[in-house]
Amino acid sequence: MKLHLENYSTQILKNISLEIEKKNLIILGSNGAGKTTLAKVLSGIIPTSQIAFEEPKTKFINYIPAKLEIFDDYLNARELLELSLLYSQKKVDEVLALLEITHLKEKPCKFLSSGESQLLLLASAILHNAKYTILDEPTSNLDPKKVKMVYEILKTEEYLQNRIIITHNLNFAYKLGEDIVYMQEGEISFLGSNEQFFSDENLYKLFGSSVKKVDDNIVINL
Amino acid sequence: MNKLLILFSLLLISIAPFFGQIDINLEKIFDSNSVDYKVFFDLRVPRVVLAFFVGAILALSGLVFQTIFRNPMSTPFTLGVASGATLFTAIGIIVGLSIFISLFAFVGAVLTIVILFAIASKFKTYETSSLLLVGIALSFFYSASLMIVFFLSDLQENYEIVRFTMGSLDVVGFSEVYAAVGAGVFLFTLIHLYRNHLKLLLTSHDFAYLKGLDVKKTNYILLLGVSVAVGVSVSITGPIGFVGLIIPHILKNIMHQSAEKLIFPIFFYGGLFLVLCDVLARNLGTSSDVPIGVITAFLGTPFFIYLIISRKRQS
Repeated sequence: MKLHLENYSTQILKNISLEIEKKNLIILGSNGAGKTTLAKVLSGIIPTSQIAFEEPKTKFINYIPAKLEIFDDYLNARELLELSLLYSQKKVDEVLALLEITHLKEKPCKFLSSGESQLLLLASAILHNAKYTILDEPTSNLDPKKVKMVYEILKTEEYLQNRIIITHNLNFAYKLGEDIVYMQEGEISFLGSNEQFFSDENLYKLFGSSVKKVDDNIVINL
Repeated sequence: MNKLLILFSLLLISIAPFFGQIDINLEKIFDSNSVDYKVFFDLRVPRVVLAFFVGAILALSGLVFQTIFRNPMSTPFTLGVASGATLFTAIGIIVGLSIFISLFAFVGAVLTIVILFAIASKFKTYETSSLLLVGIALSFFYSASLMIVFFLSDLQENYEIVRFTMGSLDVVGFSEVYAAVGAGVFLFTLIHLYRNHLKLLLTSHDFAYLKGLDVKKTNYILLLGVSVAVGVSVSITGPIGFVGLIIPHILKNIMHQSAEKLIFPIFFYGGLFLVLCDVLARNLGTSSDVPIGVITAFLGTPFFIYLIISRKRQS
């Protein structure tokens, strides 16, 4: 079943129509453009009748927020991952090792740094293994080496089935090579191939001189 | 260590009935004609059992409320459940139906949670913070209503209401104790069966939802269960504050484990705490027992503050 939203409007989002079928997608857009809101609508956190989910819903869709939110002071990383283990054949230890966070296993989630909790969230996504996983800024708090590691993981089908990635890292989006949705003020202003989006012409139109392509990498011109 | 502590606690509980204003002779307690037998089995043992189960219910209720409302300060008392029970009891007293007092208290507690659910169903989106605010507002409304009841009552009724609001573990015989035991067992079983749900609630509502939990339904079931148990307990003893606030915090700070692993410890040590407070209340040498709520607050506050300070120092 495809992920399908039609003519959805609220205070934040305007007339959004989106259809995703067995493919990956990257959502870009400036701060406050409505990317996270859209992700919450697509994952059912913000309820609407304009979207239908395949049952069981947990198997169909998962959303990974940019920040880990935990109420309990002592719930540890392992316990969070055990709660996340739904449809994956992989084991908790395996995924911890993959993301090089085995040392955090027994640490309370509340004591993790923002980067560590981001990796923990990715581990949780892999263990959940829904058909569609929306990842909200999965690299925003990571050091460059970890960004590269996450890139390698999100590049393949091996760990997550269909990936919808929200990011501000243009080079990350460019290198993943997936189709792009660009949002502006609650609307989808661009929907098309990676190639089209990252054409010099389009880059100049959207970002002016602040973004440039250098040696096949997108860099911010400071 | 842990097992040893539980054994030691059980020992404390089993010697608790021997302390009190009248000394009990160990040899005479099995002689059914003696005064010792009567004092021991009709007054002391029921009282200790009651104290244990009421303490256990209040402590576990605190844990559940704190998890549901994601607020370390919430207990059935902050949400108006206990003040609902108190108000209804007061009304029962002034309309001259003192014999049905327990029933009034129970209805007050459960009705409060039903009112809360009815109001929550009008919310556009389900959020526990609004529910908490409504509960607090309701609690103030009850306090104001209680003032009116006071105003309308005569001296005798006034006295009865004040005594009830102070909380007391006085019981004669086992009939009321059975109700408390039943409520305690019911609550513990319910929470134990829902421990995985509770664990998901410890993360975030979004996370729990995405893992397939019906957050609203789970919260309602747990809140209703807690209110029934608290209703029973308040109807027997009156409101006893503070246990539900401090016991979960103290145990979290000592045991450093996630809340869903603390269901049994909080239940057990909550019970022990109230038994010990009651032993103290009965043995301070005053002409009548010191109200139990006074002891829980006097003992609990300094220890509680000490723990908060030492935790802040660690981090």
